[in-house]
Amino acid sequence: MADGNSVKPLSSYHTVKSAAINPVVQIQGLSKTYIVNEQEAGAKATIRSIIHRKKTQVAAVDDITFSMAPGEIVGFLGPNGAGKTTTLKMLSGLLYPTRGNAVVLGHIPWKREKSFLRQITLVMGQRNQLVWDIAPIHSFELNRVIYRIPLDDYRSILKELTELLELGPLLTKPVRNLSLGERMKCEIAAALLHRPQVVFLDEPTIGLDVTMQRRIRAFIAEYNKRFGATVLMTSHYMADVAALCRRVVVIHHGHLLFDGELAFLLQKFTSHKTIIIQLGECQADLNVYGEVLACEDGRYTLRVPKADTARITERLLADLPVVDLLVEDPPIEEVIDRVFTEWNP
Amino acid sequence: MKALFQLYIQQFKTTFATMFQYRASLIIWMIGQVLEPLVYLIVWSTVSNSNGGNIGSYNTGAFVSYFIILMLVNQVTYTWVMFDYEYRIRQGFLSFALLKPVHPIHADIADNLMSKAITLPILTVIAVILALSFHASLTLTSWRIILFIPGLLLAFGIRFLLEWTLAQAAFWTTRVSAINQIYFFFLLFLSGQIAPLSILPSAIQITAKILPFYWMMGFPTELLLGKVTLASALFGIGVQAVWLTIAVWLVRVVWRLGVRAYAAVGQ
Amino acid sequence: MNYFRLLRVFFRVNVAGELAYRINFFINLFQSVLGLGMSLAGFAIIFSFTTTLGGWRPEEILALVGVYVMIGGIIRFAIQPGMEQLIQSVRDGTFDFTLTKPEDAQLLAGISRIGIWEIINICLGFSLLVIALVRIGGRIGGLQAVEFLAMLLTGSVIIYSFFLILTTLAFWWVRVENILVIFQSMYDAGRWPVSLYPGWLRYGLTFVVPVAFATTIPVEALTNRLNWVTLLTAFVLAIALFIASRMFWKLGLKHYSGTSA
Repeated sequence: MADGNSVKPLSSYHTVKSAAINPVVQIQGLSKTYIVNEQEAGAKATIRSIIHRKKTQVAAVDDITFSMAPGEIVGFLGPNGAGKTTTLKMLSGLLYPTRGNAVVLGHIPWKREKSFLRQITLVMGQRNQLVWDIAPIHSFELNRVIYRIPLDDYRSILKELTELLELGPLLTKPVRNLSLGERMKCEIAAALLHRPQVVFLDEPTIGLDVTMQRRIRAFIAEYNKRFGATVLMTSHYMADVAALCRRVVVIHHGHLLFDGELAFLLQKFTSHKTIIIQLGECQADLNVYGEVLACEDGRYTLRVPKADTARITERLLADLPVVDLLVEDPPIEEVIDRVFTEWNP
Repeated sequence: MKALFQLYIQQFKTTFATMFQYRASLIIWMIGQVLEPLVYLIVWSTVSNSNGGNIGSYNTGAFVSYFIILMLVNQVTYTWVMFDYEYRIRQGFLSFALLKPVHPIHADIADNLMSKAITLPILTVIAVILALSFHASLTLTSWRIILFIPGLLLAFGIRFLLEWTLAQAAFWTTRVSAINQIYFFFLLFLSGQIAPLSILPSAIQITAKILPFYWMMGFPTELLLGKVTLASALFGIGVQAVWLTIAVWLVRVVWRLGVRAYAAVGQ
Repeated sequence: MNYFRLLRVFFRVNVAGELAYRINFFINLFQSVLGLGMSLAGFAIIFSFTTTLGGWRPEEILALVGVYVMIGGIIRFAIQPGMEQLIQSVRDGTFDFTLTKPEDAQLLAGISRIGIWEIINICLGFSLLVIALVRIGGRIGGLQAVEFLAMLLTGSVIIYSFFLILTTLAFWWVRVENILVIFQSMYDAGRWPVSLYPGWLRYGLTFVVPVAFATTIPVEALTNRLNWVTLLTAFVLAIALFIASRMFWKLGLKHYSGTSA
């Protein structure tokens, strides 16, 4: 943490908007520590554990501070086990924090006031709130009554959601007969019937095929535009975040590493560029120019330091019979990986 | 043969670890195992006492012994595969089992034996406590003890194989709970669980002795108790041997038919 | 109130899938009749050897079996399925969804599932009860009937609270998935009058696992065996357990949400 080159919470990159205007979500020093029983293998250890249980403390979330303005879509990035889901659970009132506080829509989430719960929603990828053996429309009906949605409002929002998510034929099929993607669409619809002002999405596109992921991303963007809902979305798919979120919050080992614009993050942590160069065949050794990542049918993929890009490109064009040349940013995943690995816990 | 032996050892270890994890569930389950014969024990003692101390050839002490021994015999012979076989098929676990070069019945046998190795000692202690508290009367002779062993083992073999065959019904229908219930209906009446067979009307006795249910539980119990003559006991063991042969044949046939049905439909 | 609307919707939702197939009805009817036969098995055989059982006449035992089947049906219709679903949802994480809804979680969990086909058992048990009452004849007066209904009600409240306490334990002991089986195994003993059993068992079936309140005590009201002490105890216990179970439930929720009380 002390090294000037490693990552520190960069709160100065907050968009000024969020701090000033009435923030929808305000988190201050939020922490969650678990006490975990250790389990060892082997018969002797098992029997020993009856008498004495070894416990350790695990900080799932450690001192997180940020806020969100109304209508923002914020991406919450981090590898598995980073503390994203735990944070989301605290913000939706499912967990009590160990330290710190949070205010969402003027309420303290873990007080679980009914007026609070009516304004939020939580969607968890791969976990269903829809009743398994019956058609989604019945689960929708259930939510209508639970959230006390007036019939007219219910009908109109259902129509809009059906249109946006292409739910038509799915509404009357039992949930167990739907594919994973179809089920997810219905889950999302069920979660939005009561027009919540704050939407928490926990890995909403996990396990879905690329087409479906794109559709759901498009839907979230459209929903945010139409209804102005504030969205906090966790994902470990960069494509989700890149498509939807201007602002990202990066979390790792429970600590907040970065909070600011995604573009800035990419720019700061991209130290390399990728040069794709098309030659006749794969015979030449291009390692003198840069790191050769791959070669197929004469198409080389080279990794070069960002600062040297122009110079190396010039040399390549001068030295070799180049058919085609392309300069690309490295995949975002690589950038984010760098953010994680360069932070020394 | 050695591979099979190792398979059994491995399954023993798995069952032991699982049971240890779920030890609280075990205790809960054992309460049920004890309570049912206990209730009948009490009810029949009451009836016997109000009837001048005995019913048929059973006096009150004999009723107590009967149900305690039955509890242990049930514990040795019972199985549970028919309850989760449908789940196995639906979840695709059966496909994994079919890919292995071993018949899946072995895993179930090993699991069954290991469970009982753990629960039987506990239940035996409870049986002794019950016998003392309720004044069981039991006199043993050497031939009864000697013949009880094959009687009990054959009973286990018959019951395990027939109930494993029953479980295969899941290949053809999802209504396994209905089918299981029909089986348990007959088991309840004809195996001696409600009352010793020898005090029931002769029509029921004859039916029970033609069908395999009596030979799964009632017979070894009455044998140990001394309600069966030496000649009848030897004859009974012979009948058990016949039923065991039938059961083995049945398992083979039904299993083959089941796999064919399963493979035809696919999973 | 929204509660009743909720009940209606949950009922409709639960029933939607099941009633689609007529064959479900016939299979469940078959199983229920078979089950009734098994419950009556002991009765038939016992009373071929004796005319009373611990002072109880055959038609009184018949009434007991009727109540046993009927209450068992009510438990598996309204109480048990919701509790089992709740335990399962705590285990697989979908309980979080229940918690984010703006309605009381205990309420939502309790009515989330019903065992629709248990209505058959309730009817069968009730019919048996009526047959038995006819046989018992004129020995039942208005007071007994009122006491009977009152004891059925307190019995139901006691059973519900007991189930809730067991279910709440799942917040701490996630691995005891069959915790509700405790009641199931001991309920079997309710087929016979609890007065038959030795003291320790009687105590266990009354105050540890309250089977007696569901079966024997209501029928004792009908057959003039009820005394004031039992009646009063039932009422007090029902109220106390209901409050205690609610408080315990709240404690369980707090534990689930990761706060020490």
